[in-house]
This record gives sequence, structure tokens and C-alpha cells, in this order.
Amino acid sequence: MKGNIRNFYICAILFCCAIVFSSFIRIMGGADKIAMPYKKAGLTTEQAAAHLLSRFTYGAQTGQIEEVTKMGLEKWLKIQLEGKLDDNDLKQRIAQYDAINFSNSDVEDFFPQTPRVTRWAIRDGYLHKDSTGNGNSKYQREIIQGYMKEKGYRPLQELYRQFFNQKILRAAYSENQFREIMTDFWFNHFNVALNKTQCASFVPAYERDVIRPNVFGGFEDLLLQTAKSPAMLMYLDNSSSSGVNIPMADQEMMSMSDMGLSNEQKSKKKERVKKINQQIQQKKKQGGLNENYAREVMELHTLGVDGGYTQNDVTQAARVLTGWTVAPLGKQGYGAGNKGLIDRLGPDGLRDKGFVLDGDFFFNANRHDNGDKVVLGKKFAAGNGYDEGVELLKMLAHHQSTARFISKKIASRFVNDVPQASLIDKMAKRFTESKGDIKSVIIAMVNAPEFWSEQALREKTKSPFELAMSAVRSLNAEITQPYELYSWINRMGQQMYYYQAPTGFPDNGQYWINTGSLLNRMNFGLALASQRIPGVKFNLASLNNNKEPESVEAALLTYSKLIMPERELGQTVARLKPMLNDPNLQQKVAKAAEQNSAKKDQNNSGMDMQSMDMKPEKKEKMKIGNGKKANENPPIKLQAGNNTMLAQVVGVIIGSPEFQRK
Amino acid sequence: MVSRRGFLKGGGLALFGIGLGGIPGFLADAVAGTVNSSLYRKRKILVCIFQRGAMDGLMAVTPFTDDFLKAARPGLFMSAAKGAVNEKPLIDLDGRFGLHPSMAAFEPMFREKRLGIVHGIGSPNNTRSHFDAQDFMESGTPFKKGTSSGWLNRAVGLLGHDAATPFQGVSLTSSLPRSFYGENQAVAIKNLADFNIQLRGNVAGAKMAAKSFEDLYDQASSDLLKNTGKESFDAIKMLQKTDVKNYKPENNVVYPTTALGNSLKQIAQLIKMDVGMEVAFAESGGWDTHFNQGKDTGVFARNVNDLSNCIMAFWNDLASYQDEVTVMTMTEFGRTVAQNGTGGTDHGRGSCNFILGNSVNGGLVHGIVNPLAKENLEDGRDLAVTTDFRSVFSEVADVHLGIENDKVLFPEFDGKKIGVMRG
Repeated sequence: MKGNIRNFYICAILFCCAIVFSSFIRIMGGADKIAMPYKKAGLTTEQAAAHLLSRFTYGAQTGQIEEVTKMGLEKWLKIQLEGKLDDNDLKQRIAQYDAINFSNSDVEDFFPQTPRVTRWAIRDGYLHKDSTGNGNSKYQREIIQGYMKEKGYRPLQELYRQFFNQKILRAAYSENQFREIMTDFWFNHFNVALNKTQCASFVPAYERDVIRPNVFGGFEDLLLQTAKSPAMLMYLDNSSSSGVNIPMADQEMMSMSDMGLSNEQKSKKKERVKKINQQIQQKKKQGGLNENYAREVMELHTLGVDGGYTQNDVTQAARVLTGWTVAPLGKQGYGAGNKGLIDRLGPDGLRDKGFVLDGDFFFNANRHDNGDKVVLGKKFAAGNGYDEGVELLKMLAHHQSTARFISKKIASRFVNDVPQASLIDKMAKRFTESKGDIKSVIIAMVNAPEFWSEQALREKTKSPFELAMSAVRSLNAEITQPYELYSWINRMGQQMYYYQAPTGFPDNGQYWINTGSLLNRMNFGLALASQRIPGVKFNLASLNNNKEPESVEAALLTYSKLIMPERELGQTVARLKPMLNDPNLQQKVAKAAEQNSAKKDQNNSGMDMQSMDMKPEKKEKMKIGNGKKANENPPIKLQAGNNTMLAQVVGVIIGSPEFQRK
Repeated sequence: MVSRRGFLKGGGLALFGIGLGGIPGFLADAVAGTVNSSLYRKRKILVCIFQRGAMDGLMAVTPFTDDFLKAARPGLFMSAAKGAVNEKPLIDLDGRFGLHPSMAAFEPMFREKRLGIVHGIGSPNNTRSHFDAQDFMESGTPFKKGTSSGWLNRAVGLLGHDAATPFQGVSLTSSLPRSFYGENQAVAIKNLADFNIQLRGNVAGAKMAAKSFEDLYDQASSDLLKNTGKESFDAIKMLQKTDVKNYKPENNVVYPTTALGNSLKQIAQLIKMDVGMEVAFAESGGWDTHFNQGKDTGVFARNVNDLSNCIMAFWNDLASYQDEVTVMTMTEFGRTVAQNGTGGTDHGRGSCNFILGNSVNGGLVHGIVNPLAKENLEDGRDLAVTTDFRSVFSEVADVHLGIENDKVLFPEFDGKKIGVMRG
């Protein structure tokens, strides 16, 4: 008997082990094994490494292709998919930006929005209400600045500036390049924008806490967390959406027939029904249902526009999501109106009455529409409160249309603008199998031959952000004033964090390349290479291990290869050669450059003005970050002769058509 | 996606270039592709000015006989009666509406019936958020956030050309406004003088770089880069033919040295260069007058003064092009009927807009403004929106630009036109 029991246990343990082991195999060695068929596509390991780096980093640094080749492409990708490298260098670089670590409540407390500060300044008697004139007068500005200083408030522009700066530095220096790329991708997918003041303050924490940690995990988590984040709740207005909330007892009472009631009961009921209807009217007047989020969560975040939902589904989903709003943040920030209620009920009271307070998220049961709803044929029974919304989002996250829509979007970003249906099929299948595991979908993508085909290689156009970052990375540049790059990226047609529509930036070459933006790409190359972008420095000689190229032609070849490794350079070199061989031109350029170096300080400040020429910064020009102004830079030592020419060549390479592609 | 470059059909177009002695390729292409057009057929041009921040339509064009308004705005109401002490009267337009005295520049245009006003214009979506209301007005779909394109971009696509020039839609802003988002050609240029290859202080270097770039892009293997590169260099050459920095307006016009003045001046230049521009966009700011908006003087007066002076400078500068141009202003919503506690007005609903052009049904205040008694107000506080902005925008675009497909321009709209244009 005992032996039997023991045998049973052993069997049971073995059985369990087998299950665990087999699922382990499945995860580690099965569908999620990285096996990239680049050799079949006729690529060398170096070429494959170059392709991989072009898609999953902000550009290869010098020598990085050799490094990755040596390490093994699979291993490199595996490490990148974990995205947990130390990043000590980056941490030091961004340590100076204190505000990027602030919670939403901190932001509300220390970076209040301008209209609010004005109101407070009037309330506290610093500013007389009759003296304010639309925020333009110098007098008023000074008073408000003084008031802010005294109260410890900081201008919101400073928060934005720190936020932009760290974004640039992360892209340039993070070891976890793929995580940064994916952060950019998902932020754009779940776009929010600084143009909308109501959500602007919450955007930095949104990217930091909601997007970046979840980029390789389950799609469901991303969806749920974005839905609950203050930035999204404000951006697509769900925070203000409220439904008709009739207590269950009243609902029952209203639906019961009058039969068997006494006259007195009847008139009492009539009275009550009238009162409820009045309340409903009142609620509707106050704003009521807002469908913005419910529509976009289906159209843009999950199912896609052809994903098979109707206007009625949108309305019903909006009703499911009523009551999803923002918790009281900071001492006198957003959501303060709910503070009293939350304090009064206490944690237990909140739970008992169906409220949910989860970090910055608040489910306000009083605003929730507690009737029956049906979305996409699925019934959401009345009275389930917060859980209805969770159930809805889970359903959307795992919907078939979502699997395809998300797979297509990932493929459009990483393979080509119009990815092949065969590839989307494979990725969508994996999406469904893995219950929406993003890492699995990415592995399915790189394991597919389509990723390595002619239709994919160098077929994507770099966004302005990617162009700028790949340029500084290829030159091993030292960035001390990242905002200068932000301004250039803006001029090239990508005002980061200010894309107004919830669609996010269209991720295709047609969008990025137009006459105006293309000229600015060329000008960026020239400005960068001639070291005319303040706070961005590099040493061309050391890029080539301080070896002086033997001839101008050799220089052209060497640097083209350094900046665009593993590329077909024939055209570029052939086209640039005549320019280098014209001694007159060389002299002219060198001379002009020398003369110009004397005037450089003035010119730089001119450049600065231009880069400040953006709506948000216009009002409050300030020094932020390391506070260095352009003309505090030591003058750039111009290298004589060939090297001026070299800078020119490098500028043309960065502005060349080949460098715009990835 | 339909490629916007489908027009580059090769050989035949080069002939145009030769025949015309250096006409930019894209223009030749565009002209060649246009059905039934002579080479220099003058294009119609729609100029839109977005007044961001929500203009107080009731102060710009005041129903001055309305006693409810007078009572609701003790510190802001102005009268049309002359002879008041220390205060300029409104310009009486029709016995009922008065134009703000700082917009005197507009009066002759109104009298000549070239300036039309629509009052009570706004969005059917009653949001009072600047962002949302601008977003809806620019996308042209007031209940749909996810519309990826803007209405002006769709307008560009409906102009009926097989071909496009890079300047077909131009925004004088640092980045492309929501109105121009979309698949059709549109470009944001803040400053025409910057439209060049630049290497500060090193002209020789810049020239050499420009030559290199032109060569490189000419050989680019990607069609998109090659064709856009060609367009860019053609455009540079064209702009270089005119001295954009030392531009001399016609009729001794002097543009106000403000952001809007600068934008309109550059739009005028582009029109005169005949670069194929058909839709232009500019912005005017400072309309969010919560605090002390003033009466005949003050911040509001300054704003409307700038708006009207800039538009009139532009109009007079374009003396020989006036038949081709229509100017239309727009703002996301109006402001409360009652003044607030800080001498200003808060976010409201209906506002008014101005349309200037030779085919405008001018000299009239269109739309419906009911007496501002509380029961007539939207939500008991605001001038009601009685004319959907899409009605006016589509009528102007239809008549002036010859757009026929309203369903593409404003997909969810099938409302009536109110006759702001003389069709």
C-alpha cells in the first residue's frame, strides 16, 4: 500500500516535471527559438548583422557589426529582447534630469499648468485680477515668475525639455537599443500628445511607467495599462465620460409592473420614476457619455478600422468604460474633486461600493453606467462595474482582428511599408498562439524569410528621429545639448510628442519624405558634419583610429564605409569623387570655412533662435538641462586642408539618399 | 495607397521642360497632367487662417441691439452710437450687427460686398476643449478622433489634377497642421528664405554640397527619394529666381510685422511665383481671452486689428490676382455670452468667421443669431451654433476650388449650404 502511494507520488512528480519541462522546451526551444534564415536569403552574417542593427537599434555604431557577428546574431537579439543590460553610461548622462523621475502627483505639485498658476497667483493676492491681460505683459510675467519661485513651482517647459533630452540620450547611448525602439513604436501606437494640455503633464510618466517596461510583454498588459493611465484617460477624454447610474433596486422597481400595487404605492412609484428620469436628464446635461476612447481603442489600438465593429459597439463599449477616470493627483491637481469621497469611504468602503483606486487610476462607481451592454456580440451583464471594462479590454486584446492588426503594424515598422500577407499570417498566428506575447510575435517575424528578403533590405525610410540618431551614433558623437538635436528633428518634419492625432505618426516613407523635409535632412548632414550643431561633437580622425587617409579618394572610401557599413557604395563614391578632385573647390571651401570660424559665435546664436522657434518654447525661453548656451562652447578647432573637405564629405554622406534608408 | 507620384510618366514631360526654358519639372508635369488647361492657366487659391484660442465672435461682430448681451457684458459691451466719450463706436454694418472698430480695414470690403461674415458658426460637437475642437475642425469629422487626414489635405486631393506640385498645399508654420495631415502633397515652410541648402557662412561649401546632393539624388535607387530630390532642387531654383528677402509688395502695401503678416506676405509671394499653390494655411494666435480682453482698446482690439490689417495688406498686394483668391478665417469655438470675473470671457460655442473674395456673397452677416435670452442660449450660457462649420467650409471649397465630392471632404456631413458664395 505504502509503496503504491510512493510510486504514485513519484509518477505524479515525474508527470509534473514532464509538463513543466515540455512547456519550458516550448518556450525556449520551440516556437520562440530564434532561427533567422538569412543564409537562405543569400546574406553573409555581416550583412545580416547590419540589417538586424538597422531595424532594432538607432543605427550601428562603428565596429558594432563585427561585435554582433562575433557574438552571434541570435544571442544578440535574445539579449536585446530581454532588454536588461546595465546602461551605466546612460544613467550617468541622464542623472542631471531630476524631473524625469517624478510621479504624476509630483508633476502636478511642482509643475502646475500656467493658467492654474495665474489663478493661484490671483487667489493668493500676488496679482490683481484687473491687471492681467492675456498673459502677455512683461509685468505680469515677472510677478508670476516671482510667485512660482517663492512657492517652489517650476515651469512645465522645463519638464518637457528634460523629457526630450533624455529621449535623445537614450536613443543615442542606451545599450538596450531594441527596448528604446519598441518604446518609440508603442508610444506611437498608443499615441498621446503634448498639444493637449489636459494630458500633457502626464506624458513623461506615461512613457516611463506604462510603455517602456511593457514593450516586450503581453499585449493585454499594454492595453490595460494605457487604458488606465492618466495620459490616455485625458487625451481621449474617457476621464470625463459618465453614464447613467441607476441603483439596482430602482432598476428593478422601474421594470416591475404596477399590477397589485395600491394607489398610494402607484403614485409613490410614479414620483420616484419621475425623480430618476430627472436625474438622468441632469447627468446627460453634465456631459454624459464620451465615445472618443471607446472608438479609438477599437479602431487604432486593437481591431483596426476594418476589424468588424459597428457604431453601436462603440457606444456600448463607451458605456462599459464609464467611470474609468483619474485618481486625485498631487495636493491640488487633477481629480481633487474625488478626494473627499475617497477619504470619506476609506479603502474598505471604496471596495464595498465597487470603487477601485489603483495608483493614478480611479474607477468611480457613481459615474458608471450600470445597465446591460453588448459589445461585439458579447453580453456584459449589469452591475459588474470595473470588471466589465477589464473584460472588454481583454476581449479586444485577444481578438482575431487585433492579432492581424498588431502584426501588420509591427511588420510595417520593421520589415517594409507594405508587408507581405504571408508574413502577417505567420505573425498573427503566433500572436494568437502565444496569447498576444509581443516577444513571440517579433521572433516569428525575424524567423520568417520575408524579414530577410530583397523587399525588406534597406526598404524602410528613416524617420527624422532615426536619421539624427543614426548619424550621431555612426560618428560616435558626444552629445551635451540634446535639445539641439530635438530642434533639428522637428525641422526635418517630426515634432516629437506633438503629433496631434491619436493615429500617431504615419510610419512610411511617403510621409517622411517631402521637398521641405528632404532639404532639411541634407542641411542637417552638413550642419552636423561641420560641427555646427551646438553641443554635438565628434572626432573624425579618431573614428578611423587616427589614421590619416592617404588620399582624398581614400578618405571618401574609408568614411563612406565607416558611416554606411555593408552598403552598396558605388554610386555614392562615384558621384562624390569629382567634387573631391577639384582643387579649386577644395581651396574655396577651406578658406570659407576658416573665415567663417571667426564669425561662428554670432552664427550659432542665430541658429539657436531658429531652434527655439516653436510654439511651446516661444513663450518661455530658458536654459535647462546642463544650461550651456551655444556660445559658451569652446570654439571648434578647424582641422586644416583635407579634413575640412572631409567634414564636407561626411555631411554629404549623411544627407545622401542611401543614408536616409535603413 | 495611391502613389502621389503617379504622374512621373517619363519622356514626354522632358519636352515641356525644354520648350519652356527651365520651367521646373514638377510644374511642367503638373500642367501636362491637368485636363483641359492651358499651360499658365491661373489656379484658384484658397487661403485659410486659423485663429487659435477661440475668438469672441460676439465682440468681433456684435449684435448691438441685443439688450441681453448688453446686460450680460457690462464691462465689455460696445455700442454703435457715435459720440460716446473716450470710446470708439462699433461700425454699424446693417442696423443690427456692428464690426469692432479696430477692424475698420474690413469695412470697405463689406460695403463692396466682397467680405461676408457668418455668425453662429461652429461645430456640432459641443466640446469646449481647445485641443478637441481644433482637432475636429481640422480633421473635418467632429465626432471622430481617429480620422487620419485633415480636410485641407483632402481638398488638395480633390482638385482634380493628375499631377501635383510640391507647393500645392502650403502651410506657413514650423510643422504641418492637422488640417494638412494626409496622403496628398502638403508642405510646411516657416520661412521661404530657408528653403535652400545651407551651410552657414560658407557659401562655396553650400554650393558644392548642393551640387553633390543633386547628383546623388538624381541617381538614387529609391524612386521616392529620387523624385522628391528632384522636386526639391527644382523648387530651390525657382525660389532663387525671385529675391524672397527683398520682396516688394504691390500698391505700396506694408504688411504688419507680425507673425500673421509675415505668413501672408510669403503666401502672396508664392502666389505671384506661380508655383502651383492652391491651398495655403496660416495661423493667428492670442484669442483665448479669459482675462481683461478690453473693448475698443486692449488685447482683443489689438488681435482683430492685426487680423484685419494683415488680410487687407495681403488683399491689396494681390490686386491683379484677386479673382483667383479667397481668404477664409476659422476659429474652434466662440466665448461665453456673459463676461467672467476677470474681465474676459470663457469657452463658449458659436463664433463668427470672415470670408473675403470676389465670388463671396458679401456685404451680409449670414447665419442665425437669435436674441441672446437665456432660453435661446446653448446650455443656457453660449451663443448657439446655428451653422455647421462644414456647411461653410464645403461651400467655399466647392465654389472657389471647384470641388465636387463633398462626401470625401466631409465624410459624415450632408447638411445644407447657406449661400455664402455666389455660385
